Amino acid sequence: MGTTASQLGKDLLSEYQELTFLTKQEILLAYKRFSELLGKDEKDVLHERVPMDRILTLPELKSNPFRKRICYVFSTSDSKNGSLTFEDFLDLLSAFSDSATMEIKSHYAFRIFDFDDDGTLDCGDLEKLVNCLTGETDETKLTAEEMRQLISNILEESDIDKDGTVNLSEFQHVISRSPDFVR
Amino acid sequence: MASYRNGGLFNPAYHDSETLEIDRSKSLHANPYARAERPDEPYSTGHSSGGDGLAGRGPLGGWHGESRRGGESFPMDIASTPSWQRDIHPSRSPPDSPYDRSPPVHLPSAMSGNMTMRWRGMTMRRMSMFPNGDPANEAFAEDAIRNELQNEEQNLIKELIALSTRDQIRAIRDLPMSFDEKKHIRSQVLAVKSKRSRHFTCFAECSENVSLSFRRFGYSVSSARQTLQLWQGIMKEIGSKFGTSVVIYFVFLKWLLMFNIFSFLVNFGFITLPLLVHDTSPKIPPNVSFSGLEILTGAGYFHYTVMYYGGYSNATLHGLVEYDMQLAYFFTISAYMVLCGIALIFNMGSLFMKNYVLADPTSNGAWQLLCSWDFSITNERAVRQRKNNLRVQLKESLSEKAQRERLTLSQQLRHFGVHLGSWLLSTGLAVGCGASIFYLCKYEQQATAAADWSLLQDAETLLVPFVVSLMNLVVPLFYSLFNKFEHYSSQRRQIYALVVRNVLLKMFILAVLCYHWMNVVAKFSCWESIVGQALYRLVIVDFLFLMLGSFFGEFLSNLIGTRLLPRLGVPEFDVARNVLELIYAQTLAWIGIYFSPLLPAIQILKFFILFYLKKVSLIQNCQPPRRSGRAAQMQTIFIALLFFPFFVGALSMVAYTAWSLSPSEHCGPFQGLSSTFSVVGVWMEDLEKIPGSQWAVWIYLNVIRSEIFYYFISLIIVVIIYIFWQVTQGRKQLIRLLKQRIVNDGKDKSFLLDKLQNLQKSHPDRKSQQKNQKRHSKQRPDDLSPTARSNSNAMVQALLARQRLEQEEQTSSTVPSDISSPGALTQAMLARQRAEDQEAGAHRPLSRALAVPAQAWQRAGGQERDEYFSPGFYESPVGASSMVTRRAEDPPSSASSVMMQVMQARQRAEDEERPQRAPAAPQNPAPAGSSALIQAMLARQQAQNEYDDGY
Repeated sequence: MGTTASQLGKDLLSEYQELTFLTKQEILLAYKRFSELLGKDEKDVLHERVPMDRILTLPELKSNPFRKRICYVFSTSDSKNGSLTFEDFLDLLSAFSDSATMEIKSHYAFRIFDFDDDGTLDCGDLEKLVNCLTGETDETKLTAEEMRQLISNILEESDIDKDGTVNLSEFQHVISRSPDFVR
Repeated sequence: MASYRNGGLFNPAYHDSETLEIDRSKSLHANPYARAERPDEPYSTGHSSGGDGLAGRGPLGGWHGESRRGGESFPMDIASTPSWQRDIHPSRSPPDSPYDRSPPVHLPSAMSGNMTMRWRGMTMRRMSMFPNGDPANEAFAEDAIRNELQNEEQNLIKELIALSTRDQIRAIRDLPMSFDEKKHIRSQVLAVKSKRSRHFTCFAECSENVSLSFRRFGYSVSSARQTLQLWQGIMKEIGSKFGTSVVIYFVFLKWLLMFNIFSFLVNFGFITLPLLVHDTSPKIPPNVSFSGLEILTGAGYFHYTVMYYGGYSNATLHGLVEYDMQLAYFFTISAYMVLCGIALIFNMGSLFMKNYVLADPTSNGAWQLLCSWDFSITNERAVRQRKNNLRVQLKESLSEKAQRERLTLSQQLRHFGVHLGSWLLSTGLAVGCGASIFYLCKYEQQATAAADWSLLQDAETLLVPFVVSLMNLVVPLFYSLFNKFEHYSSQRRQIYALVVRNVLLKMFILAVLCYHWMNVVAKFSCWESIVGQALYRLVIVDFLFLMLGSFFGEFLSNLIGTRLLPRLGVPEFDVARNVLELIYAQTLAWIGIYFSPLLPAIQILKFFILFYLKKVSLIQNCQPPRRSGRAAQMQTIFIALLFFPFFVGALSMVAYTAWSLSPSEHCGPFQGLSSTFSVVGVWMEDLEKIPGSQWAVWIYLNVIRSEIFYYFISLIIVVIIYIFWQVTQGRKQLIRLLKQRIVNDGKDKSFLLDKLQNLQKSHPDRKSQQKNQKRHSKQRPDDLSPTARSNSNAMVQALLARQRLEQEEQTSSTVPSDISSPGALTQAMLARQRAEDQEAGAHRPLSRALAVPAQAWQRAGGQERDEYFSPGFYESPVGASSMVTRRAEDPPSSASSVMMQVMQARQRAEDEERPQRAPAAPQNPAPAGSSALIQAMLARQQAQNEYDDGY
């Protein structure tokens, strides 16, 4: 613990604390986990990118149906390959931490659910979302008719301006009325 | 004025804008028609210098930018947004100067709200400006967005600087951006700050250092608090395996544990400790010894200790100060009850507001999908199970919806019959339990009255608690059985029915017990202690049964489910039943607080062990509940149930005891008084003798004992409730109106989007033709088709801008706002649409085409006037119509160029400084007109910005 603390530096640590919702211990733990993800020859923990495959081996993400989306959303990589730097990783942890605000959480949740990155949840996104939630194999998948009905139900309830898509503010509206979301 | 222009000169957003640099160099080399643009120059330079009134500025940025602009495609034009914004609205302070000497002073809270709003709008815009990803628009989008981003960023930084350090950190942290962006903003804010504070003395530095170290200290305190939080890790572990709805149980358990620790501290500190300090010798008779069975029965040895009411004296303790035991006992118990009530009400109130008033009961389906994924679950098996459950739930809810419509009358009747039957049966069962306990108590009373105290007798006292706990364990199983036969249309209703039945059962049992204690036991000597012992036994036996229950109920059924009958499967953790058990246990502790002040200590022990027991049992034996209700709502229900009927019942029981029953004559603190409450009367009589305390006596006589006071209080409360009810009704109406408005705005938006898409379809190869079109327009300004095309291009962009504004408007309209400005917007939209109609039908008769834009312009002008209240705008319709008429004399000009003229005229009118420039325009109608359109667009955007900032 002591060595990692000195590696991160006091100023850097306090900067991370200011910019994320994490505490000092959490940041140090994140640092430890992240440096474990890196290979032996990659010493520069702060600037190295970890490819998505390796991120997904983390037990916290391994079984999450949205794991790839999570990586894509938090990745700042130019080639959109879902690889994360340490700071991206911190960002991810911060958004999922207990103390993150509703605003942040709903924002990122929206981006995770927005599979085609177009800024709205349209029918295609919702269909993918349902498939992610129920599993994609043939026997678990909903039938086309069920899917259609389900999506029309969702749109009916959450699409306030009736434009056929759910946008961020509508999404946040739904979430603000569903207090379970934040946990 | 001058100062802000200097600010504009050093405006980093403008100069550092790489888009501008790139555009400029590209246009120099790539555009072979740069020379041909010369004719624009007078106009462009004139415009920039006229708009800014600063000659030196032209060569620096405006001149180059603008002169190239004529030859460039529209996307590049948009890139210079800041300069245009300044030109059009000189009165607005530049949004992008971090060196501004006088940062706007806002309230921090309002500012941060505004900020997040703006960022939300911005990020949304960034994401959704071009949903179709049309490559033709990408260049435009990129530049415009980048520019806007920079603009917004500068605004944001300026706002952040005005905040205190603490708010600053919080505001930066709350931005929904990636880490790099946050870091960038932070570094910029810090840079500006340090620049500003450089000329301060060492004092500032010192204070900065001190505040930094304080902040660091605060971080370490908060992280230490997190590690110290009880069972934090266990809760996370459970949440990762079983989901949030199971965690609710443990959170509730922990909450109750805290309650009991608090009550133990209060009781021990104010009642027991003074007595123990004053009188250390125990009052235990020599013939009573500790045998061990007392731990179960609570009688015998314990009877004489401070565990029970009887162990306290009515004496005034003379230590350092006089300590009146009677008063201490009375006030501690009553204060504790009142504090409990307040804590419960506050908790319940806030939860109700969050989970019921805000929650929309109809949005169940959307909730199921959009918010149901529990990101805290990380266990592979749990994830699979959760997916399965979710699928089953979705399918069920879909089929239910279909089924409900198909139900015939006979089916409905049958359902109703089943429900009625099971309700009658369960209520009958509860009443039966109550009655049997009543007779059992009676029997026990007679038995104890007949025989002497002995060990066997002691054991016999355990009969009642045993039966009670057994009923609490077995009867709910029957209820679950009933539930299987009923087919509730929604799972929530099913859970509620189960909860209500269990509550009824527990209420009947407790009511019978209380009745027995009040009416039968209260006649014995030292009856308070007897009641206290009975409660002690109930608490202990209940604890044993909880342990047995989790052993038999969960461990054994796990064994059966895995080994013998795999059909049954692993048992689920029934959150509702378990929480009700906790509530029941807590109610016993509340009732017992008067009779046995140290009962919370037992309760603390019980809950502490229970936590670990349940945790182990859960992880070893159970699977996550198949149908978890909405966890937050369940939590609210549980707290509400804890308050009513259980806490209220316990409170009224204690209050009845204190007010109406006469305390026993030979033991306890209140011996010799007619009722417990009369201790206050005695105290008041004592106070009357002390001079200077007349006010207390007066309050006692005129407030506490006066009916008129309570009458007035309740009257006032009724009036306040009525007023609040009216306010609520008004708000409901407002919400309905606002919802309607959102729908209308959405319709407008989709209508315009359709139009836009039609336009895009009709000009699919616009981009490739843009350069040609430029050349055409340069060489043959009167050529109809290219001009029309370029014009439609402008239209597309105007519409895009409109769409963006629409979205912003929609974001902001979720907040209640004034209704007037959207009206103006709609009007402007209508005008635009009309202009577009006219443009689409370019072959229509000229005269009509002329009339339409004129009208459109007048509408738009009117709207502008409304928004800016600038006197210059009053002239604009006149200028516009004059322009229009002049152009009308020119027969070969197309309708679309007329349209441009209109826009240009409008732009002229806006720039009131140089009306004489107007005649120069007809020389080159196409680019000027299009840039006029853009100007109009920007003007609108500016208006929208101001409108947004108004909140």
